[in-house]
Amino acid sequence: MSFFIKKMSRRAIVQALIALPALSLFRNQPVVDPPNADPNEIVEVNGWILKRSDLA
Amino acid sequence: MIFDSYEAFRASNFAARACILGSGPAGTTIARKLGAAGIPVVVLEAGSREFSDESQDFYRGATVGDPYFDLDITRLRFMGGSSNHWAGWCRVLDSQDFEPKAWAPDTGWPISRTDIEPYLGEVHDILELPDFRPDVPISDDIRWVQLIKSSAVRFGEKFADELDKSKNIAVVLNTYATELAGDGKRVTGARLWSNGQDAGTFSADYFIVCTGGLENSRLLLWSNQRSNGGVVPNAAALGRYWMEHPTFEGGNAILADYGEFEVDAVNEAFFSPTLPAMERLQIMNFGIRLIETPYPSVKRLIADLACTAPDMAEWMSAKLSQRLRCAAQLYVAWEQAPLASNQIELSKADVDHAGVPRIELHWKKSPLERRTILEGLRLFGKTLAEKNLGRVRIADWLTNGEDYPTNEELAGHHHMGGTRMGTDVTKSVVDANSKVHGMDNLYVGGSSVFCTSGECNPTTTITALACRLGDHLSKVITV
Repeated sequence: MSFFIKKMSRRAIVQALIALPALSLFRNQPVVDPPNADPNEIVEVNGWILKRSDLA
Repeated sequence: MIFDSYEAFRASNFAARACILGSGPAGTTIARKLGAAGIPVVVLEAGSREFSDESQDFYRGATVGDPYFDLDITRLRFMGGSSNHWAGWCRVLDSQDFEPKAWAPDTGWPISRTDIEPYLGEVHDILELPDFRPDVPISDDIRWVQLIKSSAVRFGEKFADELDKSKNIAVVLNTYATELAGDGKRVTGARLWSNGQDAGTFSADYFIVCTGGLENSRLLLWSNQRSNGGVVPNAAALGRYWMEHPTFEGGNAILADYGEFEVDAVNEAFFSPTLPAMERLQIMNFGIRLIETPYPSVKRLIADLACTAPDMAEWMSAKLSQRLRCAAQLYVAWEQAPLASNQIELSKADVDHAGVPRIELHWKKSPLERRTILEGLRLFGKTLAEKNLGRVRIADWLTNGEDYPTNEELAGHHHMGGTRMGTDVTKSVVDANSKVHGMDNLYVGGSSVFCTSGECNPTTTITALACRLGDHLSKVITV
């Protein structure tokens, strides 16, 4: 994986990242956002400390 | 004056009022203070002017419990002591480190930071420090703490010429005080070993033990055993409450702008909790060290983030393309809860060349510390996210509750406790003036008197306490 990434240009990485949201389907997801969830609420997902709005 | 052997010193007829054991930061500082006050003092240094394997061998020992460094590599036994390998990071313990904490038993000092602050000017000169800078709060929970980097003064090198020219200070090299003799009120003499053989006994009116954060306990335990309790009459805490600064990589951070924090010469910045945050979470103090991450690691980190928060990853990736410096490893060093069970004992099976039992160090990290590092990283991550400064990923070993990694820094080579300061004779060894409880003429210098460790490197506080003890002794010892 790291070898593959090293060979990629930064532009290619950004393009790949744009397509990456689909991958999140295979990861642990936070609880489904309630209708009035605070977008600034801090959540912990897969070890990341994030704002809920980051998960959009 | 500097003598290369005890025999040469004895031939000089130098008459000392006080005897300091050890020439590291504490011993040298106290000697210089006494010398400046006109009090003749002898410093007995077990090693010579330079490192030698033969001298270092006296420091071998065993550790029981958590993995730790070999005891003969975590300190140095020659003139200047362990200042010969320190890195130069400087900071005084925080005010809050001196205060008792209801959620952590046996915390709190009998003195406060204000008691050592008058000596920081002297410390500044001794350690050749840039100016101390105030911490910068970045949230109600997290402070950006200002460790400063000194030139890592080697006390033996820096002060050799001054000590050699001093008329009031005699440094005697290659002279190992193997034990002190005492009658329960006073130390009556020190048994010496010089250049590979017994060198008889030495007497002085006052003895100050400054042989290091491991060796102070060893010497006093052995002396007390040989004197049937005549050296440390209240010995319940002797050797106990030993502490380190365990250090492990606890995660990574992606920063919106690495330049947000002014980093030091080695691209590092440090963060610690506020007292209210420690109280709220009931955790110990900690220091998160932010170390710039190499570019390939940044890409891996952003790829990992993309799996969880793609928009954020994309934004970070754009930042990455603008600035190559945007991610960091997070190393966490933390304050250990003082535990009586973390202790220095005398080996029952192994002795050094002079016949003194070697150290058996019993040391384990506690559940409170594990919670401190995890909650500390959460606190730091929360602050970065709320302030939109960046995002933190906590290492899997922490979130999954796995064992501590085995290939890490382990700890800071900071040896604290064992002869801790206090008012309760069952839980401390020395009083607020570093005088051994119940003894009239025995004092202890160095980090072994620390009651708690805080999160910062100890040399600055050691030197400040040594200045304070030097001043105190200058008044106690009448010429």
